[in-house]
Amino acid sequence: MPNRYLGFTGLTLVVVALMAIHNFAPSQAQHSATDTYAITNARIVPVTGPTIDKGTIIIRDGLIAAIGANVAAPADARVIDGAGLSVYPGLIDTNTSLGLPQPSPSPAGAGRGGGGGGFGFQAGPGPMASALNSSQPAGLQPEVRAEDYIRSGGPEIEAARNAGITTALTAPRTGIFIGQSALINLAGDNPQVMIVRSPVALHIGFTPLRAGGFPNSLMGVFAAIRQMFLDAQRYQEAQRIYARSPRGVRRPEQDKSLEALVPVLNRELPVVMYADRQREIERAISLAQEFKLRAIIAGGEDAWMVADRLRDAQIPVLLSLNFPRRTTTASSEADPEPLRILRARVEAPKCPGRLAAARVRFAFQSGGLASMDDFRGNAARAVENGLARDDAIKALTIAAAEILGAADRLGSLEMGKIANLTITRGDLLDRNARIAYVFIDGRPVNLRPATPAIPASPGPSPAPSPEASPPPMAANVARPVVTGSAGALARIAPQSQSFSEDLRSCFQVLSTYAAYAGEGARAPSKTGSC
Amino acid sequence: MKRLTILVLAVIGLCVLGFERTRAQKAPAPPETLIRNGTVLTITHGVLANTDVLIRRGKIAAIGKNLKAAADARVIDATGKYVMPGIIDCHSHSMLDAINEGTVSVSSMARTRDVLNPNDADLYRELAGGVTTLNLLHGSANSIGGQTTTVKIKYGRPVEDFIFPGAPPGIKFALGENPKRSSSTPQAGQQRRYPATRMGVEETIRDAFVRARDYKKSWDEYRAAVAKGDKNAIPPRRDLQLEPLVEILEGKRYVHSHCYRADEILMLINIADEFGFKVRTFQHVLEGYKVAKEIAQHGAGASTFADFWGYKIEAYDAIAYNTAIMVRHGVVTSVNSDSNERARRLNIEAAKAMRYGDLTEEEALKLITMNPAWQLGVQDRVGSIEVGKDADLAIWTAHPLSVYARVETTFVDGEVFFDRQQDIARRTELEKERATLEQAEPNRPANRGPAPGAPRGRRPSDLDDDMWEGRP
Repeated sequence: MPNRYLGFTGLTLVVVALMAIHNFAPSQAQHSATDTYAITNARIVPVTGPTIDKGTIIIRDGLIAAIGANVAAPADARVIDGAGLSVYPGLIDTNTSLGLPQPSPSPAGAGRGGGGGGFGFQAGPGPMASALNSSQPAGLQPEVRAEDYIRSGGPEIEAARNAGITTALTAPRTGIFIGQSALINLAGDNPQVMIVRSPVALHIGFTPLRAGGFPNSLMGVFAAIRQMFLDAQRYQEAQRIYARSPRGVRRPEQDKSLEALVPVLNRELPVVMYADRQREIERAISLAQEFKLRAIIAGGEDAWMVADRLRDAQIPVLLSLNFPRRTTTASSEADPEPLRILRARVEAPKCPGRLAAARVRFAFQSGGLASMDDFRGNAARAVENGLARDDAIKALTIAAAEILGAADRLGSLEMGKIANLTITRGDLLDRNARIAYVFIDGRPVNLRPATPAIPASPGPSPAPSPEASPPPMAANVARPVVTGSAGALARIAPQSQSFSEDLRSCFQVLSTYAAYAGEGARAPSKTGSC
Repeated sequence: MKRLTILVLAVIGLCVLGFERTRAQKAPAPPETLIRNGTVLTITHGVLANTDVLIRRGKIAAIGKNLKAAADARVIDATGKYVMPGIIDCHSHSMLDAINEGTVSVSSMARTRDVLNPNDADLYRELAGGVTTLNLLHGSANSIGGQTTTVKIKYGRPVEDFIFPGAPPGIKFALGENPKRSSSTPQAGQQRRYPATRMGVEETIRDAFVRARDYKKSWDEYRAAVAKGDKNAIPPRRDLQLEPLVEILEGKRYVHSHCYRADEILMLINIADEFGFKVRTFQHVLEGYKVAKEIAQHGAGASTFADFWGYKIEAYDAIAYNTAIMVRHGVVTSVNSDSNERARRLNIEAAKAMRYGDLTEEEALKLITMNPAWQLGVQDRVGSIEVGKDADLAIWTAHPLSVYARVETTFVDGEVFFDRQQDIARRTELEKERATLEQAEPNRPANRGPAPGAPRGRRPSDLDDDMWEGRP
């Protein structure tokens, strides 16, 4: 009982101190007292080094401070007992549109004009936004950057985090020159904190524009891409000539779209090209070779059929884990499905193993999965179909970071790297494993209370684990202790505008602490509601 | 010194010879094929009864009686059967993932080469109809359409293997109702695309050639400036739309023009004369019989339907004798399919010209062999059975111009790409594979979800199975 009063008093003092600080330094994000974490007694999988069966990993200031079997937890660290837990580098989803606004549907669904419009032509939402003052129509604007449109939070980002993903490459959804992608961490209140690297690549899709203008067929798509690359080559040459000696030379027109293609032509910025079918991949490779681009294939369902060519051209693949499966029910009257589709569904999980055997570099992407549980689930299926377990884990972590140019700061558990961790109870790719904690930029994130196991087959849902249900005393507090208080504390200082708001937040924090103080001195509680 | 030079040269020569020999040894010669004792329809040298054809390294090596083949040669007994060159379809949209770039009236920058689909099942059916070469065309939505591709149907091979080596490049033009969109009304709020009349089609083509001429001039001027040493010359913009048109003006690209009415045929001949090029073929050309003399004088070929007409106003005046009349006037004429369905029975289409117009057997067979070969500029490689030509052949169970004839085996470059007996034998294998696949976990029906949709109709030729099935 004295404990509780002591804690209460201490906390009041802290809160008052913080309120005082608020008046003098409102704009800095507060260093919360819980910046240092130590996960002890855990199985640690650094990926770039040997697995440590029982060790400790220290996080400080958003970075990995130490890893090892005999590392001692510092005094100021919040300690998490990692018994039974496996610590992996944060999983990376290499192709998403997370954080980008959903486009509004376009007004008129243009029909397939003139007898056989185009391959893959779908009516649907138009491009996310049109760049200002562009010489090109929306969808052909390589200057569009994801970083300009990212918004934090939202259900998709939460769903990704609940699946153990800490980092994602995000690019706009539609278009031919879709835009330049950004690598983001899936936590943080604003895009500035989220962005790890931008731009990462220029994304190119081969679906005709839906707006009704040129091009509306696959042939036109290739012609448009080719023409813009040629124009960009000329643009670069014209600018060079003009810069050398402007006198007597007509000033070349400025063009942001062509300007954006120059780094692509100079191989400074890679291109990510969307291709699943064998012929689509071959066309993409040919186009890349025509303009000597640094290419990456995204999708890659048939990539194993083109593995030799991919390897010889040193083209990595962002392989979709959205394996095709039948979604319709049985019907005695239905036509039999084509053999090609039946084969594709069976072959898809074998593709990663085949790519690994052919020494093609690849990493995994969610590929628009409806249920993010299938992200690890299908990676597990790939392992069941010939992919080595280590290669699967690499494809979720360091291989992804390497392909996306961030291997110096992400993708493995090494000292000094960004502290993105995915911590599971059980091996990452086991069907019964659960995500226990996810750390992004050195801070744990909220996970949905019930993080289900990888679904093996439809059946009764498994009984919730201790991690799954929050302790009853905190029933009216949706957020677990650590993040809630850390977040609340961080929020008090920079973002609140009035003293009464501060007061309200303080009372919230105090009631939270009061609830937990009743349980015991140490937080987080052993039931681990984080 | 002189002796030393000779010695060095001799050593180099020996090395080269030795190298060549090892290279030749490394690639073993594929086995020969001997087609024995068939009735060989050479097309250019008459009908040879009880004659053998020897295929070696993809070419026709010998034609004659009682030919000797290598010990490991594959021998096919063609007794009672007919051997004919592979049929050449001069107007096809098979194996294309896109047919029309219909947003602009001059889409010469579009290339069928970019959208080839080697997995199109219709290719196999065409092989079963004795077809071995296709002219893959852009659609007829535009006055000036996209670039064509000539392919050999090597079904099962990578797409690069399909491209007909050395075939001259081509481009599609279209005149009349289709490019002026007679059959469609513009959507609400959208303007009708120019041109909307035949005079507009003519102007569109003329304007495109004028721009092409200017484009060529600007590049010639730029090159002259650079040659003179101008370091600050900025090159003109490369225009993928105008470059193929410049190639037409320079005689390097064939024009295949979809047309129906006599007036538009004459219109295009006038434009061609004005700009100094030749139209290679008029396609469909259902009123060609009205202007057969003019077509022959211009030197163009004609590729038409045997008896398909009346489906739109510009096709009303067609007659069944169109083909024969054009042939009699000296126009190099072919019959084509413009359809994956008709492409399987082009032999019958050719036969119809015997019934309507009294073409001889040889003239009728030329409609699907030597004539389209000339139209595509590949007459030195295919179109007849002659020593040295590509071994693109089919073995028929009866005379190909008979309705009872079926193809037994089709060769492309000496390799079998269709064999009826093999096809029949494979069916049980495929059934077994299907049964196994349908039991696999990802293929089992879902517990919940929509029922499979009812098919909306026959799959259009430009859609892959999964694109068609996947639609709501």
